[in-house]
Amino acid sequence: MPEWGERHTTLEMIVQELQRPVRLDETFERRVMVRVRRLHAERRSRGWIAIASRITHRPGWAAALAASVVAVVTLGLLRGRPAEGERRGPAPLEPVQFVLVAPDAHSVAVVGDFNDWGLNDGALIATNHEGVWSVTAPVPAGVHRYAFLVNGKQWVADPSAPRASDDDFGMPSSALVVEDSTR
Amino acid sequence: MESSDAELVTRVLHGEVNAYGALVSRYRDRYARYAVHMLGNREDAEEALQDAFTRAYRSLARCEEPERFGAWLFRILVNRCRTSGARRVRRGRTFVHDEAALMRASQEHPAEQTMWREEIERALGELNADQREAFLLKYVEELGYDEMSEITGVGVSALKMRVMRACDRLRTLLREVHSA
Amino acid sequence: MNRSARAVSALALAAAAWAPARAQDPRIGNRLDAPSRAALVALLDSARAQGIPVEPLMQKVNQGVAIGADGPRIVAAVRTLTREMATAHRALGTVATADEIQAAASAVHAGVPAVELGKIKKQSGLRRSLTLPFTVLADIVSRGVPVEAGVNAIRSLVGAGAKDTDINNFQRTVSGDIEKGAPPAAAAETRAKAVPAGKPDDSAPQQL
Repeated sequence: MPEWGERHTTLEMIVQELQRPVRLDETFERRVMVRVRRLHAERRSRGWIAIASRITHRPGWAAALAASVVAVVTLGLLRGRPAEGERRGPAPLEPVQFVLVAPDAHSVAVVGDFNDWGLNDGALIATNHEGVWSVTAPVPAGVHRYAFLVNGKQWVADPSAPRASDDDFGMPSSALVVEDSTR
Repeated sequence: MESSDAELVTRVLHGEVNAYGALVSRYRDRYARYAVHMLGNREDAEEALQDAFTRAYRSLARCEEPERFGAWLFRILVNRCRTSGARRVRRGRTFVHDEAALMRASQEHPAEQTMWREEIERALGELNADQREAFLLKYVEELGYDEMSEITGVGVSALKMRVMRACDRLRTLLREVHSA
Repeated sequence: MNRSARAVSALALAAAAWAPARAQDPRIGNRLDAPSRAALVALLDSARAQGIPVEPLMQKVNQGVAIGADGPRIVAAVRTLTREMATAHRALGTVATADEIQAAASAVHAGVPAVELGKIKKQSGLRRSLTLPFTVLADIVSRGVPVEAGVNAIRSLVGAGAKDTDINNFQRTVSGDIEKGAPPAAAAETRAKAVPAGKPDDSAPQQL
């Protein structure tokens, strides 16, 4: 049985096991191609490929068509290199406390880059302690913009944080830099 | 010399349907691994993978970068696995689904290795689908976060959180099993 | 135009017409109108091609959607941010991290010339991250500190080896002083002198 050593060793062993190849049934490819050929036949009967076939039977045109297709495809924007500085492993999560003094508020949530601005039900809901609203959450190391959402509709910048120079939408927001404490 | 993905895609779009078989062979086993670990059993994995290949063929004209057909196909597969996972209640997670596979496994690996693999699969099944997906994409399929974000439609920060939680949970589960 | 050239032109046009519709980034989803979605996909693809971090652009989209901004306004915001990040990227060079680029872009947005950010990066080299210093520079300039005074303050803090906690304190005290009515330039110059120096930076700037 594997030795339970360092945290990273355990993870390495798990990944090593999961990366073993998986062999499918030998008939898999045949079954896929049966479906694909059926689709191909349906399209042919609709004349979808007829035009391209006529063109490729003229040798000069076939080369020109291939070149055009390649040119059109490469006009599509290619994937650039990844942004510099992207970590190899998951970014460490650091606990961050968000605090807003809002004695008249009924609800306060924190939304920002770290939770897709609350769009996927990820808004951090603050708890109220005599008008002082707070929530602590793990946030990945890096730079983030965020704001408080008061009563579900009022956008408020964090008065104790740097402003995000971010006037695109007419709503204030704040900047948060979370240090990677493992570095 | 082996044809590139772009060459094969072009040939398929010109009506040479058999060229698609080469693409199926090329990606079948690699993506089967993801589907099996994500869904927990071969039957569902094969169904999802077949479905992905079929959909990819059907919309091949919309593959913007034929030289990256594999990545484009993988995105389709990830979505199929999500749909399959949401529907599936019946089969449960049984990595070793049939006797023949069990026999092969015991011949290829010592019994303890088989048990260890089963424990990992069981622990993987304990993760919620989002965490399992993120963990497999990051560590088993070795994708970068930008790629994962493009494939899943989830922001990088959320993905990083899911991966972190998945790692912690797997370590805890497998440590508990060992000490039990 | 000879026959072959005409044939190639005709085929190119036909192929372009047949060319697949641009695949949509799944994260944009269907929250926006179709022209805005198409514009955003093009912007994101262009950013990727230039090596610009895409995540901040996507989060700008999310912010706009969350606030309820319309598609064209979101596209304009993303276009502006892309341009600013490209400017910052060019100024900082290839050794800058994604976070530094994003923070520098916010300083550019606030009005700091990118060339000044590049000078600070050159001076600092790889010794420290400039994410927080650039973020604070953007903040104090947006509060009214003149660009030159802000740049000088941050440059002297970085040059003196001030830690991030000191630079954070500097931001808090300057913003507090300004709120109490202090002239922004005076607040920044005074508070920058008060920050304790870290390890003195008397070595020659690193070659990048």
